[in-house]
Amino acid sequence: MFAVVLVPNFRLQAALRFREELRALPVALIDEHEPKPGLLEISDAAAAAGVIAGQTATQALARCPALAILPRSPAQEQSAQAALLEIAGTLSPEVEATADGFCTVNLRASRVHDWPALGARIVAGLAALSLGAQAGIASNPDLAFIAARHARPVLTVQTPHAFLANLALHELNPAPDLLAVLSDWGIHNLAQLTSLPRGELMDRLGPEAARLWERAGGKMERPLRLVRASEEFAEAFDFEREVETVEPLLFIVRRFLDQLAARLGNVHRVAGRMALTLMLANGGTHAHTFTVPSPTADVDVLFRIIHTHLDGLRLEHAATGVRLLITPAFAERQQFQLFESPLRDPNRFGETLGRLAALVGAENVGTAEVLDTHRPDSFRLCAPRFHEMNAAGADADSFDAGLPLRRWRPPVVAEVRVVRHRPEFIVSAKVRGIIRDALGPYRASGGWWESASWATEEWDIETEGGGLYRLARAGGEWRIEGSYDEPPAQERRPIVAMHPHGV
Amino acid sequence: MSAAANDARTVTDRLTAMRRMLAEKFPAVEHKPGGILRTGLDGLDAVEGGVRRAALTEFSGTSGAGALFLQAMLRAVCRERCFAALVDAARTFEPDACPRSSLARLLVVLCGDAAQAVKAADLLLRDGNLALVMLDLQAVPPAQLRRIPANTWHRFQRLAEQTTAAFVVLTTEPIVEAAQVRITGAGGWTLAAQRRWRHELIAGTDWRIFPRRTAHAHPRAWESEHATA
Repeated sequence: MFAVVLVPNFRLQAALRFREELRALPVALIDEHEPKPGLLEISDAAAAAGVIAGQTATQALARCPALAILPRSPAQEQSAQAALLEIAGTLSPEVEATADGFCTVNLRASRVHDWPALGARIVAGLAALSLGAQAGIASNPDLAFIAARHARPVLTVQTPHAFLANLALHELNPAPDLLAVLSDWGIHNLAQLTSLPRGELMDRLGPEAARLWERAGGKMERPLRLVRASEEFAEAFDFEREVETVEPLLFIVRRFLDQLAARLGNVHRVAGRMALTLMLANGGTHAHTFTVPSPTADVDVLFRIIHTHLDGLRLEHAATGVRLLITPAFAERQQFQLFESPLRDPNRFGETLGRLAALVGAENVGTAEVLDTHRPDSFRLCAPRFHEMNAAGADADSFDAGLPLRRWRPPVVAEVRVVRHRPEFIVSAKVRGIIRDALGPYRASGGWWESASWATEEWDIETEGGGLYRLARAGGEWRIEGSYDEPPAQERRPIVAMHPHGV
Repeated sequence: MSAAANDARTVTDRLTAMRRMLAEKFPAVEHKPGGILRTGLDGLDAVEGGVRRAALTEFSGTSGAGALFLQAMLRAVCRERCFAALVDAARTFEPDACPRSSLARLLVVLCGDAAQAVKAADLLLRDGNLALVMLDLQAVPPAQLRRIPANTWHRFQRLAEQTTAAFVVLTTEPIVEAAQVRITGAGGWTLAAQRRWRHELIAGTDWRIFPRRTAHAHPRAWESEHATA
């Protein structure tokens, strides 16, 4: 058996997927790129108002002033077609994308034989994606297509002869001249056609008539041109007007996610990565990719991730459209370990990271990674990978020496008096006084093979007030790079006058 | 048994009964013990068992003591195999001074000022994924600290109680009125300290802990009290 899933007025339905408010109204679709665009497809309400497909917009508006005219959206048609193929792919791997809004599925290997229920499931699945569909199930692809056109919404053809007998000839779309000859002969339906002998019909009218005879008898077989469903799930929407606030974007994104989550659910996948693209009024785009820390199809979680980003987003131009692409992944299966405390909710943590990045800047949040250099203050903050950590690397015992440094960023410039190659007195905006003790110098250099070579001489000093600091000299300039310990403020000895010997 | 001992026992019994009555009448405000994060610092673990989870703790001490306390907490995080966050209000954190393996378990947030750090700590406390959140205000100028509203700390206390995270604020002088536990550390280090192993410095520091007197000041006290009852 074969099933044909047909979405009538496919282009119009695709354009109306995210415009529910227009569905009950008279609506027509045009192709803006045509020089004299005629109406491509019209809604039932428009047809009831006297509008006919093919009319110009002016003619249609004359008949129905309330007619809403929408431009065709190839991106939305593409998304709807992908959704159609995904639904069809849940029935069988042998799917043919016969045309836009129309696919054929080979059900011969299917273990399900309750065809009406199967058809109803397909139609319900597409209805959940805001696509009204009809399904026809029959013994060959062409017959299934005819059944789909007559289905309301599902039609299963068990006896082809009985089904075809009363159908008019034009249901098979014969060539006009062939149809004219047959009409002259008094052949108006398929039963009359199949009552003629095939050989003599072919002798008189040619091989095309023979093929028409076979189709009329429900015996035409043809191989399917199989396609594979895409591994990406995308939705797109173009706004009628420029959007300057975040609310309309969030509304559409939420609708996208509802649809995409349903589509992911159909193929038993979850969202691993999301790519959001905003089309801007100046012709540019804003693109951002979100990695879902713990892949999921939970709409609330996915929406929060995008919401957090859009909340902190400031663009110079208004948005005219939005695209969302989801790369699917398999759902994670995680078992909490006895001695490990993984993140309970990696997605929430990812959301918190997004909010922190919006607050302090993405470059100021993350886990610190010390760079492979001896250059002071060389590290970067990377995106944390807590949820991927295992018990390895849990040992923090080390043999570091001394008090940890608190680095001052930026370092404080100081004037230092050096006696016998040792710093003796320091004056700066933060620290001033006699240097009681000093350890050093610790010399380091690097980058000599580059233009940005560096060399520094470091000292650990103890001031008379009890503070421990790191002092560095580079290029003849002294700087305090940080402190190891500072006495409480009230214990610092203010030095009003400079050292008697000067600096 | 002396009369004084009898009086003390009577007072204790009455207090226990009053606490029970308050817990029954106002269950929403009852403090639920959130557990303990063992620090590995003998002076603290012997008294409290470690740093309380689901509670606001203030560490006060010199910047050197604060840095050592931070190191000790990083070791604790690695030992417990959990994750922590450090909100650095003055951008003084030096990763090179920390064990490499501990850095992978520490989320660092470098902030521009104290107000930003307070917001970042708020976000992290609400997250609920981390076992330890540290807000380092030790290097923040006093003028900025004074601009933090006092009710911020009460709000943090309530937030911390709703999570399982231990929330530690590091300051040079006590400013967190709502802290349930205060920890101090003092070393009186000289430059000779730079020639000693860090774990020796941590062990040699005078760590002290001062739990606030509350109805259920400490999980162990809470448990033992009920066990007695």
